[in-house]
Parts: sequence; structure tokens; C-alpha cells
Amino acid sequence: MDITKLKIRDMRTLLDSGEISVSELTHSYIDRIKKYDGSVKSYITVTEEHALESAEAAQKKIKAGNASPLCGIPMAIKDNICTDGIKTTCASKMLENFVPPYNATVMEKLNEQNIVMLGKVSMDEFAMGGSTQTSAFAKTKNPYDLNRVPGGSSGGSAASVSASLCAGALGSDTGGSIRQPAAFCGVTGLKPTYGRVSRYGLVAFASSLDQIGPIAKDAHDCALILNAVAGYDRHDGTSSKNPAEDFTAKIGMDMKGVKIAVPKEFYGEGIDKEVADAVLKAAEAYKQMGAELIECSMPSLKYAVPAYYLISSAEASSNLSRYDGIKYGHRSEIGENFNELICNSRAEGFGSEVKRRILLGNYALSSGYYDAYYGKALALRQKISAEYDSIFEKCDMILTPTTPSVAYNADENVSDPVKMYKADICTVTVNIASLPAISTTCGYNKDDMPVGMSIIGKKFDEASIIGAADAFEKSFAYKAPEMV
Amino acid sequence: MDLEMVSYLSRLGKLSFTDEELKKTAEEMTSIIEIMDTIKEIDVEYNAFADNKNVYLNNLREDASEASMPTEKILQNAVNSKNCFVVPKVVE
Repeated sequence: MDITKLKIRDMRTLLDSGEISVSELTHSYIDRIKKYDGSVKSYITVTEEHALESAEAAQKKIKAGNASPLCGIPMAIKDNICTDGIKTTCASKMLENFVPPYNATVMEKLNEQNIVMLGKVSMDEFAMGGSTQTSAFAKTKNPYDLNRVPGGSSGGSAASVSASLCAGALGSDTGGSIRQPAAFCGVTGLKPTYGRVSRYGLVAFASSLDQIGPIAKDAHDCALILNAVAGYDRHDGTSSKNPAEDFTAKIGMDMKGVKIAVPKEFYGEGIDKEVADAVLKAAEAYKQMGAELIECSMPSLKYAVPAYYLISSAEASSNLSRYDGIKYGHRSEIGENFNELICNSRAEGFGSEVKRRILLGNYALSSGYYDAYYGKALALRQKISAEYDSIFEKCDMILTPTTPSVAYNADENVSDPVKMYKADICTVTVNIASLPAISTTCGYNKDDMPVGMSIIGKKFDEASIIGAADAFEKSFAYKAPEMV
Repeated sequence: MDLEMVSYLSRLGKLSFTDEELKKTAEEMTSIIEIMDTIKEIDVEYNAFADNKNVYLNNLREDASEASMPTEKILQNAVNSKNCFVVPKVVE
């Protein structure tokens, strides 16, 4: 039996019964990383020594009968989540040598559970992108086809789960950065409701949209990770005080009578037919399970991409102004005065996509353009949220494709920012409206590349969308990548 | 977007570009702004009073002093000397 192929809950059973040890499990993953990550390139930093020390501590907990649900589970962490004493680069030359002096709240929570952190995984620079090809250190590949992108920005998280180079991972999602790579890599990714998981220690991109969430082999494993990281945090003023709950509560739920809305705009122009057909087939599968399908419309969807890019870039331009080369981050060797030093440090440290977003954000916020761009984008945010409210009056959840196409070749799209931005059409409205959504595989195209569907839930109703994803996964014929 | 605007925005963003980079960036920004301009088609007004519904800003902690991070940890990622950040001369 290859223990790296197991689900987290099955590892738990074997660890608790003593059939396998944490050290054995950790070594199995480290061996796989050594064997396969040279080609997948999902990790930026592998923390082998740290992992083996954590494995020892976890084994003691298990032996004492004090194992929490993720005790001894080997996980990968997106490299924009601060880890005390361990490099956190955001896949940017700007933070190439940055060692955080503190842990993100999610890391504190995972450490309390005694996880085994295998390392920090790649992403698009500062989480800006959908291909992981803007990473300054590891341009991750798709485990299903190494010529294709894994998606992004949490491409390292999704690819490492897909290739069984970790049991589960944390990613972050500002406009689809958990769901889109999960779809491309044939795994399950959950973007929680805004405020559900603390953002303290997540390197900020767009603060009103960013949210940390799990990527795992299936919805049940995602729920176990969300159970560990969710909850109010006094260090995050946008963290919700909604009580913590058990996100596995609706695993095994009966889909009979569940109302699923299918908004027509998500299946039309710009969406590949093979993707739309696979998701509509999944809708039919839900109908066979007893769910009721409801047709609906989201007229403002066509404005979602510009609204998202204006809001997120405006926030990014402000958030990224902290990188001055003085307090931390890349410091240029050229600079006669203060201003020159800052400009040169930023010019050398940031990649071109990050610079474009800073320029766009400054444009949207600058005098004379503010009302026409940023103000209008905020108005659209309200309109899109209102359209979701209206759809949710008639249904329990919404079903859409996660992406307009399957994973594309690494030499396509990535150098054309406009094409890349338009590809976010299926995911950005969820962040705009602060909703939770889960992406899971619903089919494979003619080249055996995975197709992802998204189930969008009402605010703070992650349990229902996890239950619905689990119901589908139970009857779905999953195909692992060849290397697994 | 013309070169003058890109230069202005890069000054705001404390970025420096070579002439060639500036030209390429101006072309890319022109295509990006074209997509952004589609929002001009729709007539919607932002209602500031109705906002904050989606973003929770009210969970601020009490304004009380507490122990902060030790100086050496704060300086560990910076060029520093004698417990201070080192910067180029700022006063002539």
C-alpha cells in the first residue's frame, strides 16, 4: 500500500491504530518529493529537518492518546502564509530572503494540531496570476500533463496535493486562486466565506477579498482542514465572530429536495463547450440524486472581471507600498538618496505582473479617474452581491464551471495579461460577494485533463457545499495523474 | 495610455522603468484599460451607506497596550546598525 495516496481521514485511522508511524508517513512524502518534485516544481522550500522534528512530536501525542484530527498529517503551505523562522517568499525576488518573525494565525492553529509541515509551495508572485508561471522561483507544472500549467495563484498547493507530494495544503483565494488551480489539477479546493478564516499573517494582496482555505484530495479532507483553521481571531479586524462549527456535519447529506441554481451566463459565451457540458452533466447527476435544478440569471457577470481587477489592484497598490527595501525585502545596491533607493528596490524586486497591478491600482484611485473606475467598481460590487442575494432567495446553492477551459499549455496565455484576466470570469464574483465556494472535479476532457465545477453557498454555509461536493465525489470515477 | 500617464503612475507607485520597459508597459496598460472601460456601459451608483455589509470592520480589539515584538526580531530582515534601520542620508 502506498500511504501517500490515502485520504487524511484514512491516515488518521492508521496512525491512531499504530499500523503506520508519523515518521514513516513523513519519510514517504519526502521520498516522493525528492523523486517527483524536480519535474512538478511545486515546492519553493522543503523543510525536511523541521518535518522530521514535527513528526517526532506528533508521534508522542498519538502515543499519549492526545491526537487532534490533523496530528501527524504532512501538509504543504502556500508561500504567502507567514511561518516563524522559515522563509516566506511570496514567490517574489522582493521577499527572496524574508524570514517572518511570527506565525500566521492559521499556522498557530495547525501547529496546535501537530501537523507535519513539509514545506512552502509555489504560487504566482504575490498571488497575482492564474498560472504559477509568474513565480520567481518555481514555475509549477500540472501533474496531469507537465507541459500544462497547474493554474494559480495557489498552483503549488494544488499540484502538490494532486501529485501526492503532501496530504493536504493551504492556499489563498482573492479571485479564484484556490478553486481554479484545484480544478486544473483535479483536486478539491474550498474558498471559505470572507471572515471565516483569519488573514493575520497572510501577506496582503487585496484585503477585502483575500481568504485562506484548504486544498485536499476531496471535500471531506477539506472540511477537516477547515475545522482546524476557521474561527475568530482578535488579530484580524475583519475576522467573523460567527461560532466555529463542524464542517464535516453534512458529509453524507441527502441531496433530495436540495435546490441548486444554474445561472445561464456561466455556461454561455467564453466557456468551452467541453467544460459547460461536463458541469451540466454533473447538474443532471444531482437531479438523479433528488435535487431540484433552478434556472436563473446573473446579468452583471459581464462586468465582474473589470470590477474585480479595479478593486483588487487598487487595494494591492496600497498594500504593496510597504515594500520599500528598508524594513524588509529586497534592497537595491543602487540609490544615492531615499527616493532612489525605494524606486530601485521596487523596480528590481517586483516582477512585471505585480508592477502592472500597481499601475492599474494607482490609475483607478488617482484624481480624475476615481469615480469612473474605483467608485464604479464598488457600485458593481454591491450590484453583484444583490444579484446573488436574489438568486439565494430561490435556492440553497449555485452550480457553475470553475474555469472557462481545462489547464492550458505553459506557453499559451501567460504572456497576455488581458487573456489571463478574462479567464477569471467564473470565480471572481464569489470573492466580490464574500461567499464560500468549493471546486471539485466533475469530468475529464478528451485529453484526460480534469474539468472542475464550483458549488457556491450562502454566507457561512460551508457545511452544505462541502456536503454537496462530497455527495458528488462519492459516485464520481476519479482518475489520478499517471505519476500517482 | 500614453507614456506620460505611465510615468506619472510609476512615480506614484515608486517604480522605475527603462525607456523600453515604459513603452511596452504603456501598450499593455492600454489593452488592460480597454477591458476596464466596459464598466462605463452600465449605470450604477455606489451607496456608501449600504456598504460594509460584506466586509466586517467592526471586530476591532480593545485599544490597550500589550507587549510588542522584540527589536532584534523586527530588525532581522533589514540592514541595521545599533538597533536602528539604516537608510541613505535624508537631510542634506
